[in-house]
Amino acid sequence: MRDFILKRAASLILPFIFVYGIYVILHGAVSPGGSFAGGIIVGLSFIAFSTIYGIEEGQAKLPEKVLVWTESYGTLWYGLMGMVGLGRGVPFLANKLAGVDPGTPGTLSSGGLIPLIGLGVGIRVASTFVTLFFTMMEEER
Amino acid sequence: MTALIRTNLPVLVVIAPLFVAFILPPLARRIRLVEALAFLATVFGFGAAGYLAAVVFAQKGSPFIYQLGGWPAPWGIELVAGNLGVFFLLAVTGVSVPVLLFGRGNLTAEVGGAGRVTRFYVLYLLLVGALAGMAVTNDLFNVYVLVEVVTLSCCGLVSARRHPRAAEAAFTYLVLATLGSALVLGGIGLLYLLTGHLNMGFAARELGRAWPDYPHAVLMAVSFTIIGFGVKAALFPLHVWLPDAHATAPSPASAILSGLAVKGYLICLLKFLYGVFGGVLLRELAVHRILTLLGVTGIIAGSILALAQEELKRRLAYSTVAQVGYLVLGFGSLNVTGLVGALFYLASHAVIKAALFLSAGAIQQATGKRKIRELAGVGRKMPVTMAAFTIGSCGLIGLPLFSGFIGKWYLLLGSWEAGMFLPVAAVLAGSVLCAAYLLPVIRAAYFAPAPEEDWQDPGRPQRLALLMLATVVLALGVRPGPFLELARKAAAELLAYY
Repeated sequence: MRDFILKRAASLILPFIFVYGIYVILHGAVSPGGSFAGGIIVGLSFIAFSTIYGIEEGQAKLPEKVLVWTESYGTLWYGLMGMVGLGRGVPFLANKLAGVDPGTPGTLSSGGLIPLIGLGVGIRVASTFVTLFFTMMEEER
Repeated sequence: MTALIRTNLPVLVVIAPLFVAFILPPLARRIRLVEALAFLATVFGFGAAGYLAAVVFAQKGSPFIYQLGGWPAPWGIELVAGNLGVFFLLAVTGVSVPVLLFGRGNLTAEVGGAGRVTRFYVLYLLLVGALAGMAVTNDLFNVYVLVEVVTLSCCGLVSARRHPRAAEAAFTYLVLATLGSALVLGGIGLLYLLTGHLNMGFAARELGRAWPDYPHAVLMAVSFTIIGFGVKAALFPLHVWLPDAHATAPSPASAILSGLAVKGYLICLLKFLYGVFGGVLLRELAVHRILTLLGVTGIIAGSILALAQEELKRRLAYSTVAQVGYLVLGFGSLNVTGLVGALFYLASHAVIKAALFLSAGAIQQATGKRKIRELAGVGRKMPVTMAAFTIGSCGLIGLPLFSGFIGKWYLLLGSWEAGMFLPVAAVLAGSVLCAAYLLPVIRAAYFAPAPEEDWQDPGRPQRLALLMLATVVLALGVRPGPFLELARKAAAELLAYY
């Protein structure tokens, strides 16, 4: 319990960092940033957690098994979103042509499939980032 | 459902391996399932390539154009399965099936546990998908993305073996390949700056108008692409990473790296040189002379370096450097015959080098010996493996009735037609040198006294893979017919504007 102040402060700040990452991912279609940057922020919240509370705590929160799943299926999600239009006879990665409602420009629901694709990318980037960190920490030991 | 697959085939052939690659990691424990899925993905790719070839053939060579997202050409990204694309697709998917088959149940010895084997398959499928993408892409920036995917998955494959030498080789490769990527990106950036287009067709048209105004920028773009792709394709003075990387990788990885990955960059280079810059510009800037010179030095130096190697896999790796020289020499001939030779030789070398590396891997695995002079009597102990090696060697040397002969013959005729005699001499000298570095292996394997050890041919899937590749070498040599025709159409198309 030597790092009492650090741990208290982190427990107050980290949830907000995490939520901000989600915010950046979801607003990727309408504002600067996007799913890659947002994914890194989300990953960063886990990395900060693991450095402050210890790597074991971090790995308990996000076991390797979960990371493997999110890493693979985040990317797969992107591909599946690209295939939405195939059934309607329009090409791969079609958005408006695939019959998706593009929504009102400038609002969160605009962009059709783009926010959904961004969600997959964000999940993938976050988990890759955390995996990289865990791998490097394991090599340290 | 079938109509759905058929109309989307140019994109499916790229994303199907990628999809399967992303399904695999969570299944790492069930190695049989992983192997089966990866195998299915490559077989699907081969079927798709065959179907696309039939479509292009039925349309009398006019390409199957696919617009991603439904956006038409100058704005959207195009995939073009034309003669050239289909030709390379057939080569990629055709070689990827037997190489994968060779790895079946055999990788644990070289790579490690189930998790590492799964990772190997993931990287392998990413590589195959990206190479298929290189075949069909018609977009400059897509080329860059695919180049990166191929490079990174190659680095992963090189380091797949748990060995300090593998890590070192992968790191050297990574550093030099990054340099190559940066140069390629610089070339693409300059082209985009000059033309305002990323679509190859539009960029070519615009460049034809713009280049007299910006001769230096065009010259820089040309040199960036040649050197960038040259580093990645191990063009002679830039080959330093290749021998270590290809000799230390697990044998299926060496086969695919030497056979296909290097060729992917060369196909991209071909698309840039003829599809974007165009023959007129190449002649104007004397690029064809540079290419020919690079090819000639590559052939001679690569062959001599191969001759100096004592380890079998290193000798084969240096031989790849020499064969890249042949291809670049063909690119520089600026006539249909030379390009046909380069294309056909590209495909035939992909098959031959895969066969050679796989049989070398099988020998190394069975005997534990790396040096050539320790391989005395292998031919009698491992007949199937050594037969595949012998057929591959004959093909590489360019004996008639083997696929290498036809490629070399057209390269020879093309150089003759271009009125350049140095390349003619280099092609012939390369064959002699090739015989000099491959025949001693065969002589040792068959005619030297065999030791008392119990060396055996590898298991059934491995033997089947070797036989498949050897059959293709022979089949292409005896009846090149439709495949040669496809190469001819692709070459004519590349030179159409010239």
